[in-house]
Amino acid sequence: MGLGREYSNPEFEKIYGECLGEYCKNVFYKGVYRESSLSFGEGDELFFDFCSFKSHDLKRNLEGCKSVIVFAATTGINVDRLLLKYGAYSDLKLMTADCIASSGIECFCDILNGIISEGKETKPRFSLGYGDTELKYQSDLLSFLEADKALGITLNESMMMTPKKSVTAFIGVK
Amino acid sequence: MDIREILNKERLYSDGGFGTLLQARGLEPGEKPENWNITHPDDITAIHLEYLNAGSDIISTNTFGANPLKFDNLEQIISAAFFNAKKAVELSGKEKAFIAFDMGPTGKLLEPLGDLSFEKAVEVFAETVKIAEKYSPDLYIVETMNDSYETKAAVLAVKENSDRAVFVSNVYDESRKLMTGASPKAMIALLEGLGADAIGINCSLGPRQMVDIVREYVKYSSLPVMVCPNAGLPRSTDGKTVFDVDSDEFSDCMAEIAEIGAAILGGCCGTTPAYIRKTVAKTEKIPFTPVKKKEYTFVSSYTHAVEIGKVPVLIGERINPTGKPKFKQALREGNISYIINEGVMQEEKGVDILDVNVGLPEIDEETMLVKCIKELQTVSALPLQIDTVKPSAMEKAMRVYNGKPLINSVNGKQESMDAVLPLVKKYGGTVIALTIDEQGIPDTAEGRAAIAEKIINECSKYGIDKKDVIVDPLAMTVSSDNLSGKITLDSVKMIKEQLGVKTSLGVSNISFGLPSRETVNSHFLTMAFALGLDCAIMNPYSVAMMESYYSFRALSGLDENCTDYIGFASSLKREAVTVASSASHSESEDMTPLVRAIVKGMKEDALLRAKELLKKEEPLTVINEYIVPALDKVGRHFEAKTMYLPQLLMSAEAASRAFDAVKELVSASEESKGKIIVATVKGDIHDIGKNIVKVLLENYGYDVIDLGKDVPPEVIVNKAKEEKVSLVGLSALMTTTTDAMKETVALLKKECPDTVTVVGGAVLTKEYADMIGADYYAKDAMETVRFAESFFGGEG
Repeated sequence: MGLGREYSNPEFEKIYGECLGEYCKNVFYKGVYRESSLSFGEGDELFFDFCSFKSHDLKRNLEGCKSVIVFAATTGINVDRLLLKYGAYSDLKLMTADCIASSGIECFCDILNGIISEGKETKPRFSLGYGDTELKYQSDLLSFLEADKALGITLNESMMMTPKKSVTAFIGVK
Repeated sequence: MDIREILNKERLYSDGGFGTLLQARGLEPGEKPENWNITHPDDITAIHLEYLNAGSDIISTNTFGANPLKFDNLEQIISAAFFNAKKAVELSGKEKAFIAFDMGPTGKLLEPLGDLSFEKAVEVFAETVKIAEKYSPDLYIVETMNDSYETKAAVLAVKENSDRAVFVSNVYDESRKLMTGASPKAMIALLEGLGADAIGINCSLGPRQMVDIVREYVKYSSLPVMVCPNAGLPRSTDGKTVFDVDSDEFSDCMAEIAEIGAAILGGCCGTTPAYIRKTVAKTEKIPFTPVKKKEYTFVSSYTHAVEIGKVPVLIGERINPTGKPKFKQALREGNISYIINEGVMQEEKGVDILDVNVGLPEIDEETMLVKCIKELQTVSALPLQIDTVKPSAMEKAMRVYNGKPLINSVNGKQESMDAVLPLVKKYGGTVIALTIDEQGIPDTAEGRAAIAEKIINECSKYGIDKKDVIVDPLAMTVSSDNLSGKITLDSVKMIKEQLGVKTSLGVSNISFGLPSRETVNSHFLTMAFALGLDCAIMNPYSVAMMESYYSFRALSGLDENCTDYIGFASSLKREAVTVASSASHSESEDMTPLVRAIVKGMKEDALLRAKELLKKEEPLTVINEYIVPALDKVGRHFEAKTMYLPQLLMSAEAASRAFDAVKELVSASEESKGKIIVATVKGDIHDIGKNIVKVLLENYGYDVIDLGKDVPPEVIVNKAKEEKVSLVGLSALMTTTTDAMKETVALLKKECPDTVTVVGGAVLTKEYADMIGADYYAKDAMETVRFAESFFGGEG
């Protein structure tokens, strides 16, 4: 939230505590992952079990890998509802809860990443939308993971995921 | 034979997992199983046949994902699916074999969380049902639904296009809720109301994890219960999905589920014909107990059901324009957030249900009611009471409501019953029945009870059970007839005792025309509760009323350990302490009290101080010499990094409260400083930065049109033209969406050459802003405000 370490404000801490409490009541972290084959075509072309596309940046990330594990993770839809509720009457609470949710899903992804990588030599996770990768492959990735059924993740027409705090990523396995 | 002839008379068996068997026959990951109806018809028929031979009475067509959003050749797929299923029934030679047309979710989430509108979802399902009807299924199974709203859309589509039986099955997770939050009771209330023939649970969990949910269904449902678990929980082994419960363990548990009272047994993911065969073998000797009709009165929201008749239920009355000039103004201006705020605040005060009445002669009530219902059910978990005298508005609101609503109201006039009761029958609901008819309101308890009885009898003609009728014997003011209170209270007692229905009262009418109304209201409330009143429509902001409510519960054994009473009493104490401490701040600092309250972000104090100041200063002076300088001060600190974002927003909220005080004195026609559009560009859903900009601009007196997030360029351009907006603020956070920003700026330049653009967001830089032709780059929210100040200052 851009706060320095020395920042302290009892009024805000009260609001933060309230938002965190509500967030904890509403969050239900879930994740799903699956291994896919990986092969490299000409130029920047990449082939997976569920789709193929060109990306210079992802190719660089996956250099030296034999396969990838793709995963999806989410906070669950009730966090979206909480954010909508706060948005209806307090921008401060909305922003606070949004920050909590963003860091919450990142932490959960770190844990999931740790489980996936255990005993394997892996690359840092890479999400569609980073660098030159296009979001349009999100649909293939989510179908491969059956993420709608497993996690309730759906896509809108702009390839944005719902629940809002959802993450998908590739983890290269050497 | 119509399956309804034997439903609830004997145990029925459905089939098991279809995808599991298709995968074993070579279905690839990501491949659509429905296409196999055409490409592999023999495999599909063979699977159906295996289930029929294993003992399934009901087989489901291979059409789980068949809908017009996913398939262009829908009719071909559905036709082939029926052909394959019918062939299997023929080959089996079974007489008792029913073909269910299988319907799964659309794969899209409904608005407002997703982007599929409720009516579009009904349309999608309806198109599918209309095709299925051509092939005469024996029944419909709506299954694996993890969202109550989408479930409602599917069931409505079936009911509006077919007379056949419909079974509905939902998916619960480990928390015993649907993915979008509904509890079993909420789904039971919704689906009984919609007229499903059987309801139940499938997928996600194994049979063991379903046992408690099945118990809850059997306890509360008046409909036969269907249970189709997974073969335990899935895990990945060597790249393949396997399940951890074998057919022996599965069937043992299904026997337990049959004993609990489930009427239809089957399986879902991971189960095979062997699982069904063993389930049949282990349960066919267990005596079948038909489900009994239950007497619970429920209304529900998307999360939970509120039971009426156990503990007194509070219905918040504040979303109603009667006697509220500010509310009326909000309705005229279409200010939905004012109304939503009323809902959220009442929820925080502890009401169980929100009454929603937005009737004003000069507005389009139908549109406004639907809008408010949609918005309220997004932000509040409370069930809603749809309160309107217009049947057309009532129908539209009931249709889009995500749950089983309370309907306010029907009365004893034939015209009213003819208009309202068919809607209650179609959409489900619990209806408030007012004891008034063509002859008016009787002045005796007997007369009011007679009208109540007439309404109950009329309801039964429509098949509406009396458990879904709540009688309101009408509180009339004691100031015009001093027997009014007594007649109403006698009526509550008589109607409960003689007719066995629940009761409700709009409590505050009783004191109309009297001084100190809260005193009369709160005592009347306690007296009515003591006589068995089940629901009170009341003002939750009234401390006296809430005192009556909590005290009554504590004194009647309806509040274990007085927990709720103690919680309420402590909250009163806290409020008192907060007011005292904010008032005692030292005023010796170099800031006036209002400026200090805003700078420190103390909302209630800011309101209090602004009100004090307005007694001696002109409203414009308060804005220009106190509120704006306070915001400037915070802005300067923020820019100097001696204050942070939370403080900036706290101050903005405090300033907004101070503005509320000013607005009460200044006419609504006061001109704004300028009109600005803000939007997060297409492809980006990160709107926090944009929201902060909006709050600050509003505080500085600008009229902000917030188009939201993920906004296409043409929408922004059209709005700018329509509203003649000269400044547009665009935000983007993701690298991939900066192109959308470029596109938006270009379109604005082309279509609205006089409109100026200011852009911002984490990934943007001054260089990039220049490159895409934006007129100004703002590094943060304050800089946007500064730019607006100079822009409109210069322009004006």
